[in-house]
Amino acid sequence: MAKTIGLSGDQAAAYAAKQCDVDVVAAYPITPQTIIVEEYSNYVADGEVDSEFICVESEHSAMSACIGASLTGARVFTATASQGLALMHEMLYVASGLRCPIVMCVANRALSAPLNIHCDHSDMMGSRDCGWIQVFAENAQEVYDWIIQSFRFAEDEDVLLPAAVNLDGFTLSHALEDLVVLEDAEVRDFVGVRKPKYWLTPGKPITVGAAVLPDYYMEIKYQQEDALQRSIMKIREVNELFEKASGRRYKAVDTYGLEGAEAAVVCLGSTAGTAKVVSDTLREKGCNVGVVKPWIYRPFPVEEFLDSVKNVKSLAVLERTISFGAPNGPLFNDVLATLYKAGRQVKVFNAVYGLGGRDISPHEMETLMMDAYENIEAEEFDKKVKFIGVRG
Amino acid sequence: MVTLKELSVEELFGPGHRMCAGCGPAITARMMTKAFRGPTVISQATGCLEISPTIYPHTSWDIPWVHTAFENAAATASGMEAGYKALRRKGLVKEHVDVIAVGGDGGTFDIGIQALSGALERGHDMVYLCYDNEAYMNCLPGDTLVMTESGVKRIDEIQLGERLYTFNKDSNTLAVSRCSGLFDNGVRPVYEIVTLHHLIRSTPNHPYLVVNRRGRGRGRELRWRMLSELRVGDGIVVLKRLARGEAFKFFSPVTRNHYKVHRLNEVKIPTQSSPELLEYLGLYVGDGWVRPRKGEVGFAITEGSTRKRLLELHKRLFGEDTLERLDEYYVYFNSVNLARFIHSLGFGRGAKSKTIPSWVFTLTEDEKEAFVEGLLLSDGYRYGKSYRYVSSSQDLLKRLRLLLQTMNYRVGKITWQTAKKGKKFPHRTLLKDTGCGFLCFSKKRSWNLEKDWSQYRYQDPLIETDNFTVEAVRRVEYVGNLRTYDLRVEKDHNFIAEGVVVHNTGIQRSGATPHGASTTTSPAGSKIPGKPEWKKDLAGICIAHGIPYVATATIAYWNDFLTKMRKAIEVEGPAVVHVLAPCPLGWRSEPKDTIKLSRLAVQTRYFPLYEYENGQYRLNIKVSKPQPLEEFLKLQGRFRHLFKPEFRKEIEELQRFVNLNYERVAKLCGEA
Repeated sequence: MAKTIGLSGDQAAAYAAKQCDVDVVAAYPITPQTIIVEEYSNYVADGEVDSEFICVESEHSAMSACIGASLTGARVFTATASQGLALMHEMLYVASGLRCPIVMCVANRALSAPLNIHCDHSDMMGSRDCGWIQVFAENAQEVYDWIIQSFRFAEDEDVLLPAAVNLDGFTLSHALEDLVVLEDAEVRDFVGVRKPKYWLTPGKPITVGAAVLPDYYMEIKYQQEDALQRSIMKIREVNELFEKASGRRYKAVDTYGLEGAEAAVVCLGSTAGTAKVVSDTLREKGCNVGVVKPWIYRPFPVEEFLDSVKNVKSLAVLERTISFGAPNGPLFNDVLATLYKAGRQVKVFNAVYGLGGRDISPHEMETLMMDAYENIEAEEFDKKVKFIGVRG
Repeated sequence: MVTLKELSVEELFGPGHRMCAGCGPAITARMMTKAFRGPTVISQATGCLEISPTIYPHTSWDIPWVHTAFENAAATASGMEAGYKALRRKGLVKEHVDVIAVGGDGGTFDIGIQALSGALERGHDMVYLCYDNEAYMNCLPGDTLVMTESGVKRIDEIQLGERLYTFNKDSNTLAVSRCSGLFDNGVRPVYEIVTLHHLIRSTPNHPYLVVNRRGRGRGRELRWRMLSELRVGDGIVVLKRLARGEAFKFFSPVTRNHYKVHRLNEVKIPTQSSPELLEYLGLYVGDGWVRPRKGEVGFAITEGSTRKRLLELHKRLFGEDTLERLDEYYVYFNSVNLARFIHSLGFGRGAKSKTIPSWVFTLTEDEKEAFVEGLLLSDGYRYGKSYRYVSSSQDLLKRLRLLLQTMNYRVGKITWQTAKKGKKFPHRTLLKDTGCGFLCFSKKRSWNLEKDWSQYRYQDPLIETDNFTVEAVRRVEYVGNLRTYDLRVEKDHNFIAEGVVVHNTGIQRSGATPHGASTTTSPAGSKIPGKPEWKKDLAGICIAHGIPYVATATIAYWNDFLTKMRKAIEVEGPAVVHVLAPCPLGWRSEPKDTIKLSRLAVQTRYFPLYEYENGQYRLNIKVSKPQPLEEFLKLQGRFRHLFKPEFRKEIEELQRFVNLNYERVAKLCGEA
């Protein structure tokens, strides 16, 4: 029977990993992910989960050890944030290149310099091209649910790719929420035991991580990209199965308040919560502005996204990062490319908010949404990147 | 030990790979696989041995093999070891799988040292094999006085084979050892340590014997610590008393039949030292002079008790028949033999050249005391409860200070005052630059512990022996850049310099060092002959992690290597094997010479083969008659520049270093 308990985002992640009967966890602590590592090691020490917990000496070694363990056929989980993710950057590519189905929880935190431990998406956006499946969660419930689903679809024979579940540092990781958790048995039934397709077993020797020259490299990379693009199909299947198990329906893109709305706001993570509340407020006032929240960021869910904005004429894309020197932020680029290739005529503008943990208030969200709403009828609109809440 | 017949025929590292002809690492890989005992997987770091045998779509490995990145072979292996452990516990994997991490010297020594250290610290049951296809001396300035058996000598005057006083750590007593090496280390920065009674200068990496107090309730122990690690208040071991029971025997005097000797006074020249002679000499040092060619010994002593004492001593020592001439201020003795005798003793002639010769340091306690008495009679005076001795010879004051230290006196520092030419004094103006100084000292009281039982607190039973005591460091400061030297002392490996126990050269060395080797990032130019730094001691670093097994091996001694590899696999916990694998390309040697080079590396003592098993060191290949290092170097193109005449001394330096390293390892293994 499902029960409701109070957990913070980090605790929910550790709880989910425990219920999934992870075999090896190799992690290095970094704020705001430390609680995941601490809670998990408590579970190991109390015997609540039978895992090997390796206290590695750096994040780079953490990912290296995870890859090694994953290749032996074990179920592997780890967690990191900002600087740690940056330190293990080269190994992220190795993990996806070697097709290791590792599930990692990233507590999004701003990258140095200057040093800032609060939430923004610059860490995951800095590594968005590494070939991992990337999911963004809005609240602790979603963190919990997505981690369980990640094990299922990442370890699937047709996917075999590592998955990162992102949660906003401090906003989600340290805030206590009530969430509905499944029974241990239910989760174990759902994820099952990992059946690796290729793994290092003495009976069938394989060479993993060979040196590849120009004559073969592109083919191997193409296969990897193909696998990542097609993993969206498996993710949909797993979402359906999860609905049967838990009653909660997940999709690649979450939408809210789009009935009769011709304007919408696109954002990732917990900000969507604020956007949903403001959307309700504006609806009462008669302005319909919806919220489009991609759950899956990589592979970018082109079909679902286009479907959700089919009636929308004006979009505001909210970024919680800066892609320095680029004309627009990364999410905006993905959205615009998708719309352009589909031939849609949508007025899109980019707004950067919440860097380094700066809060975006409902008032600011309302202003943004009203801008999007006004753009529906406007002939010309301001295409400059807006920085929300920046003084001077 | 295995026989060739026992080795499996199965080739787990198959042929057809793209390694160079004569590649050492390839031979290492194949040999390594012969030592496997069952299911094994390899985690390999990026490197020659990783790329060449695994060019997609081919592979040479017939066992599960993974490569992830350059610096993390140990970290990946950690994950694998944990993965198998977890799966075995859950029943998903039935057999035990041996995990071997393989890395080159690049992926291990530098970029890979973090992952290796972490893995060793966590104690994973794995083997790390490093295939290696590639020290810094401490010193003292030249005028440091070293205690030898035949007296005190400057460090740059010591000969090879000289017998030096040393500190025997086991019994905390004075011992004697031979000097087996002399080193001129060039100009280096020098610091000075000042304790209550001693002053010594050395480079910051010179080790001193420090009493390490481990806290309340715990014992004390002696540890070697470098000057740079000493703090004010640390206690270092110093010499307190140096006394032997032998009087010094002198030379034989001139006789009547010598050339240009017209008249000979009958002077009885003593054949060995005695307290009276020493007192006389003390007076001489303070107030006397000698003119050997004129045959005159003079004393500037006015009428008084001192003169009386002098004459009394003279009569007793040299007989009644000395021609003495007394003046208001001076006393003259005219005797060629006497003059030459006194001159030969080495105390100096005039005021500024007075000194204490080294043989005085070998005398008995009472002879030394008599000498000090004589000194005090002449130029010394009481100052409160202690004495002061004045002299215009700085060398004399320094040596006197050292002498007093060996007599367990309490000595202060030398206060030296200078005055320049032309300075006006009430009675006259100076005609030249002068300087004079004084030394303050006093006898130490010996505590009567029965009467003053609370004085036990000031005794240090660990060290308070007859000859040594502990003094606290008061000041450490930079002095300047001086020409420095060092000694190598056999057996006890320390000597006594300026009264302080110091270590000899040879503890901070590392093995397998291509110092002076020419590489692409440290090319041998016309000025700098190749890599100036010394390589890390990998085996030492791994042993310091406290793991159960560490070994060095090389491919020429295949039996030894296989035995060690097998031991490493079988041990529970982390094990490290460091293999020297010559690379014809990098070493610029002939492919046919690979095995020969690896054998020569051992036979020239360049790469000692030893193992460390559960706290015990063992030297596996003892090289009692080493071949000269040149035999090893001349086969390699990367050392060719060292054979040029201007860089020749680098070879000598390398040879010296190699010898010292081997001796260090041999000593660890109990073979010294």
